[in-house]
Amino acid sequence: MTRPQRSTAVRWLRALAAAVALVVVLFPVYAIIVGSFESTETLFSGTFYWLPHRATLENYVTVFRAQSGNVLTSLFVAVGTALLALAVAVPAAYALSKYRLRVTVVIVSSLLIAQIVPSIVLATSLFIIFHWIHLVNTFVGLVLADGTYAIPFAILVLRAFFFSLPNELMDAARVDGASEWTTFRRIVLPLARSAVITVAVFAFLNGWGDFIFALTILNGAGIEPITLGIYTYLGNYSTDWGAVMAASAFALVPAGVMLVVAQRYIASGLTAGSIKG
Amino acid sequence: MSGKTHSHAGVSEPQGTAAAMRPRPAGGDRQPRLSARKKRQLAGWLFLSPAIAYLLFAFFLPIVYNLMLSFERTSPATIAKFAAPFAGLANYHFIFHDPTTLKAIIQTFEFTGGSLFFQFIIGFALALLFGTEFPGSTLGRSLVIVPWLLPLFVTGVMFKFLFQAEGGAVNQVLMALGLAHHPIDWLNSPHLALWTVLIANIWLGVPFFTVLLYSAIQDVPTEVMEAATIDGAGPWQRLFLVIVPIILPVIEVVLLLGFVFTVKVFDLVIGLTGGGPANSSQLITTWSYNLSFQQFSFGEGAALNNVLLALALICSPLYLWLGRDSLRGSSGADR
Repeated sequence: MTRPQRSTAVRWLRALAAAVALVVVLFPVYAIIVGSFESTETLFSGTFYWLPHRATLENYVTVFRAQSGNVLTSLFVAVGTALLALAVAVPAAYALSKYRLRVTVVIVSSLLIAQIVPSIVLATSLFIIFHWIHLVNTFVGLVLADGTYAIPFAILVLRAFFFSLPNELMDAARVDGASEWTTFRRIVLPLARSAVITVAVFAFLNGWGDFIFALTILNGAGIEPITLGIYTYLGNYSTDWGAVMAASAFALVPAGVMLVVAQRYIASGLTAGSIKG
Repeated sequence: MSGKTHSHAGVSEPQGTAAAMRPRPAGGDRQPRLSARKKRQLAGWLFLSPAIAYLLFAFFLPIVYNLMLSFERTSPATIAKFAAPFAGLANYHFIFHDPTTLKAIIQTFEFTGGSLFFQFIIGFALALLFGTEFPGSTLGRSLVIVPWLLPLFVTGVMFKFLFQAEGGAVNQVLMALGLAHHPIDWLNSPHLALWTVLIANIWLGVPFFTVLLYSAIQDVPTEVMEAATIDGAGPWQRLFLVIVPIILPVIEVVLLLGFVFTVKVFDLVIGLTGGGPANSSQLITTWSYNLSFQQFSFGEGAALNNVLLALALICSPLYLWLGRDSLRGSSGADR
């Protein structure tokens, strides 16, 4: 008789523990949003207000004036990274799962290792290499560099997905006289839709959130993504917190949108990509 | 999770091509078999070629060039040229004798060890919690991944805001709870800056551990858990004698990936402390950036990069071994 009661209490205790954990997880994001509506005087008053204290839009006006170009740049870089990742990864993953090529093991090992390579190692060399071929300060250069996050991951995730497609499907198309390319375009791609979206979402977030390549490959003379825009607000001695908060709030928007719109894809991508690298 | 799909390995890949050949109607097949096969090989290579080109350009070339650079005497003037004068081991000699570099290397180990330890413990605890049933558990599971999706640099900036000595939320909470009597200077104290970066990184990395360990725990067969309960195993015994041994392969992968991710951390530190004060939160990555891009000592930066690369690649045989299913061509990941 006492058992159901106790288990109800335990369930609520668990809910309480989870709620505490979620407060810790979500509070920093909440603090940025609150901070972005505070006036400069409030931000420098030495008190943190848990709710907006005399809310104002002045930070957003400042950031909108100064950073809309940078937000647009970030958007282009993110979309460019996603397109590059798809263009390179989808056919490659297909080849690595459905064709018996001699290089398969070498390439898959290289991809696993490529995910380990720290970005700073690539950034140092790419900066000099880009210097020779005039890609420093360019959109193309930044997208090529940002692909290093997205492409190995994308190939491995898509390859795992392609293994789940039965070979008979492609064989049937071939028997009907379809070329290899038509089989890929008409049969394989439509079936891979959800895996392709997963990969595109992650590549987009990688391109959007990139900081290290923007910091090294761009030197302030040309395009500037939003992360770099925020960096310039962080002065050595005084930080323009209002602007930093509003710009950061902008920078968080895609993650929020993806969490709501593409939740299913995110969850599958996180587990698929990480376990088998 | 690993090894489950072994038996499919042979079916799904190597024999696929051979099997495909057989059902072809022999009469209508005018082309010799070899040519059809070659055609398919060619198609496969064409599908793969952009990826090969990309890997060579964006990974192989920079890594090789980085190696060359580490043996060169560079200066701002040599950047435009393909090669600078040979420097022998001078750059390596420098980084292994320079106190700041040594400090950055040691701090990288402290940072990585501390991060992995706390991320694993907290992540595992949350995975167990979310594995049980309670009101709001589904919503909680989807929200717990939020830190993972944020731009790393923005996370750094976010924590800089929270950890301010005056007007920072962290100090305000600590003082309200009576845990601190005066504001703690998290960001500007050489004794605390590395801890501050560590705390931010733990926050950032816990979801990764939670999500992967959660899905591994979900895969533990219910019958096994029930059998253990019937045999009188308490919660701790079930955890250490049933769950942990079963999900051990996932634990290995998660710790390995966690190590690799943590050794690479850069954006977070730049956003939070910039490596300061007095290099007290400098890591290999941030110090390498400083050497190359602020002091323009690309040779020394490249030498330090190679130390970092070696550190990250130490794990690669283990990593490839854990990923052996994916190399062999089984269904790679569970979805």
